[in-house]
Amino acid sequence: MTAIDLQGLLLLFAFLGLMLGSAAIGRRFPATFRQIAAFEALGKAIERAVEAGERVHLSLGTGSVIGAESAPAFAGLAALTRIARATSMSDRPAVVTAGDGAMAILARDTLRSSYSEAGAADLYDPTSGRLLGPTPFSYVAGLPTVLNNESVSVHMLSGFYGFEAGLAAEFGERARAFVIGGTNEVQSQALIYVTSQNPLLGEEVFASGAYLGAGELHKASLRAQDVIRIAIIVLILVGVIAATFEDLI
Amino acid sequence: MRLVRTSALWAAVAAAVGVFVLLGYFVDFDFIQNIRLLFMRWAALLAAAALLVGLTNLVQVHWRKLSQTEEGWIYSALLILAFLVTLVLSLIFGPDGDVSLFIFKYFQFPIEAGLMALLSVTLLVAGFRLVTRRRDAFSLLFLATALVVMIGTGPALLGTQGPITVGMSELRNWIAQVWSAGGARGIAIGVALGATTTGLRVLLGADRPYGS
Repeated sequence: MTAIDLQGLLLLFAFLGLMLGSAAIGRRFPATFRQIAAFEALGKAIERAVEAGERVHLSLGTGSVIGAESAPAFAGLAALTRIARATSMSDRPAVVTAGDGAMAILARDTLRSSYSEAGAADLYDPTSGRLLGPTPFSYVAGLPTVLNNESVSVHMLSGFYGFEAGLAAEFGERARAFVIGGTNEVQSQALIYVTSQNPLLGEEVFASGAYLGAGELHKASLRAQDVIRIAIIVLILVGVIAATFEDLI
Repeated sequence: MRLVRTSALWAAVAAAVGVFVLLGYFVDFDFIQNIRLLFMRWAALLAAAALLVGLTNLVQVHWRKLSQTEEGWIYSALLILAFLVTLVLSLIFGPDGDVSLFIFKYFQFPIEAGLMALLSVTLLVAGFRLVTRRRDAFSLLFLATALVVMIGTGPALLGTQGPITVGMSELRNWIAQVWSAGGARGIAIGVALGATTTGLRVLLGADRPYGS
């Protein structure tokens, strides 16, 4: 085991310890998170969609299940459990699309179990979780049909996107839907910032579970992230100061 | 009760597989490395099989639209027709055959390139909309920066050696190399932290994307 491997493993254990520790003290010392306007607006938009008999659409992006690009889509699936419960009162179930076959299967499983747990198993429709197209632009080309023909009024993007992110958000705007979106790609975040009403910047896409009330471990995750982030900032500052003084000396 | 037990079993299997794959990145033991590679190969095979399931699902969705003549059924008919033609021709002539490559070169590639071109127009319209709809300091700064970077990157309109061209080019480099690179690294660190916690939640069985 090399030194770098050991450092990585230790960091991972530190993360795990912080998450579990934060979850343990979470009830006694509840966390207060900053307000993210996009998530507050999302809750209201879902309520409006349920009342109006319209659908919520979750786009899991064009990334594959294998690899780091799956992370924002998994965060989207965590949010889907809450969205499915919130829409279980509606007669129109949420619809989920993906650009990867395995991700579409996971979306169907999540929908099925979430509706079942919410006591609305009859709302589950196997075609509600679907593959739109196996390539990034074929996926985006399929989006307007879903948004315009299936009474979608909430369009949420949570997954990996390349340049197609701009079109994915824009099609939602053109369908006059409430558009909220986030991704892990920095350049795609800039595209979503321009095209969507409610962009999620940086790691905000990973916070959707905590803000939608998906469980104590989601809130604990945010606390752990903050602690590690502060540690990284301190290390960077120490490094900058040390390098500056080294140059001066 | 049986459902809960089955759910716990799937969570345990997913966690065990995840732990082995994760350990393979940190621990250099042959046993763990071999198991990691085996699981990764299985994952690739399953992902390929899942693509077939996904495509079947896609055809199923569009067949239903076509058979019930729902709004936009003509597009569904076109999709099914194109899918079947491509599938049959690729099975007969092979995925790397001349016919398959012809379809890719003269149908898929131009359409996807057209969508990419549409993106530039979309972004221009969205930029104008941003000014009217979200008129705050950050949005204006965002647009001003985009404008400076575009002018600094594009072909010189006022001669390549003019002071304005050189100044804009230097300003563009300063924004891209200092502010943009720094900001992108900051966002990348945040995204990495978020991705790590998401992965750990799946390993702990708190998030179950495979259903419960």
